[in-house]
Amino acid sequence: MSEKTTPSNSGDSRRSILTWFSAAALAGSAAISALANFIFMKPRATYGQPSRYSIGRPDDFPSGTRVSIDQRRVCVVREGPKLAVISTICTHLGCTVGVSDTGFACPCHGSRYDQDGNVVGGPAPKSLTWYQVSLAPNGELEVDTNAPVDQGTYYTI
Amino acid sequence: MSAPTEEKTGIVGALAAFPRNVWDSIFRNPLPDSDLGASRTSFTNFFLHIHPVKVHKNSIRPLYTLGLGVMSFVTFVVLTVTGVLLMFYYVPSTTQAYDRMLDLRGSVAFGTFLRNLHRWSAHAMVAIVFLHMGRVFLTGSYKRPREFNWIIGCILFLLTLFASFTGYLLPWDQLAFWAITVGTSIAAYAPLIGKKIQFLLLGDQAVGQEALLRFYVLHVVVLPMLITLLVAIHFWRIRKDGGLSRPADADNMPDGKQLRVEIVPNSQKSGTFGLMGFVRGPFTKVGNVPDNTVYAWPNLFVAELFVFVVTVAALLVVSLLFNAPLEEPVNVLHPPNPAKAPWYFLGLQELVSYSAFWGGVGVPGIEVLLLMLVPFLDRKVSGVGKWFAKERFLANTLFVTFALLNVIFIIVGTFFRGPNWAFVSPF
Repeated sequence: MSEKTTPSNSGDSRRSILTWFSAAALAGSAAISALANFIFMKPRATYGQPSRYSIGRPDDFPSGTRVSIDQRRVCVVREGPKLAVISTICTHLGCTVGVSDTGFACPCHGSRYDQDGNVVGGPAPKSLTWYQVSLAPNGELEVDTNAPVDQGTYYTI
Repeated sequence: MSAPTEEKTGIVGALAAFPRNVWDSIFRNPLPDSDLGASRTSFTNFFLHIHPVKVHKNSIRPLYTLGLGVMSFVTFVVLTVTGVLLMFYYVPSTTQAYDRMLDLRGSVAFGTFLRNLHRWSAHAMVAIVFLHMGRVFLTGSYKRPREFNWIIGCILFLLTLFASFTGYLLPWDQLAFWAITVGTSIAAYAPLIGKKIQFLLLGDQAVGQEALLRFYVLHVVVLPMLITLLVAIHFWRIRKDGGLSRPADADNMPDGKQLRVEIVPNSQKSGTFGLMGFVRGPFTKVGNVPDNTVYAWPNLFVAELFVFVVTVAALLVVSLLFNAPLEEPVNVLHPPNPAKAPWYFLGLQELVSYSAFWGGVGVPGIEVLLLMLVPFLDRKVSGVGKWFAKERFLANTLFVTFALLNVIFIIVGTFFRGPNWAFVSPF
């Protein structure tokens, strides 16, 4: 390289602009690569439990039923014609709560809920989730865990 | 090095000298019998040149460092070796992982022992890294110019916890499943991005095959590589920051007067100095300061070897006497009651039982932030290099209080919590 003979302002600023552009391009590429890694790590399909599933026919749950379906981590409650499905996943930290006649109790950190899933003690921040129930064409009850409903929303048989 | 003698170049002479020549080609210096030899030994050996030729006397005072930094590193080495060995027999699959744990007991030579060693070393590493942090804090060693190395150390502590946490899932027993269910639910309480972090960690909505695979890759590749890189920087910075911290009066003149060296600003530097003269500060130290240094070989290396041997021996004894727990295989339907995290997270779990956000995110977040910021908040340089210095009464008291509170929460969580996390008496 030849020695710089005249200090040229325009040359210096051109050089610094090129430097900044190159640095910005490199930083941008690095940022995009990092983002791509995050997108890669986010699965598009999951292999766990389906969010919609059948729990059986309405006759399987006579009035007064209060039964836990362990595999689905839900509790089915029926009073007369009214039926509801309440999640047994503790809203505190995701343990499975135990079902009793008086409500729900979590073995992990001692959260307690009443029969409707309202918090009555312990660290749980909110009440247990109620899921939407519908009757599928084949006559079976279908639960949709992607569709939480307000507490007290019953499916009427 | 002895003076080169006439080398016989004939084939017979070459064969006769073969072992000697091979040895000499690897080890350029004989075992040292002089100061020059001692300096050459650590200077020319790839492994030994991790240390400078000479170190300050204060750095090898056993009661100053308690050897905790070296001890942390030794546990990491033991974990790497046993971890790689265990990988030969482990399959990160929900259907096979637990059976492989049983196989380690039944049909792998030294399988039980290796798993014990890995498990107990992991517990030891968490405890020792924390104690090391305590030593650095209580001697005020995080202060200028060591702020950055303190932060690296804090990150290493967090990585140690995370490595331990990811390892916890791999046996796929009840403890594993529910500890990780609880732990990742805590992550979900982080504001705004909590749910996303949880989903990224688990690769699914709940702990399952995807989570097991992700935790496995994090545990055996990503975290060890990160830890190795940061440990390298941590070690390198010790030297660049002027060795281990020491009291300000450690280099006073023999008459007790403070050393006064005129510091010439860099721009006006003149004269000729060897490269080593510039390593710290703008003046050359040779002949200017009392020499309180000793040769790294053998003083420092033997001290480190001693710590290494004692640490490994302790881990071996514990691993031969006590078996690592293995609970029932995962039962997604029935959490054990109570479901407890590993002991070093039980303090957090106890806090979490009062409030998930404050116990799991708020309080630990503030603690970590304060720890990382402390070198920039506490700028006084007095009291560095002494345990429990009077000048540092406030800072030390705060640190010890926080540490003790954590210990108390851990004790309560471990011994005083029964089914449904109700208070029970262990007596």
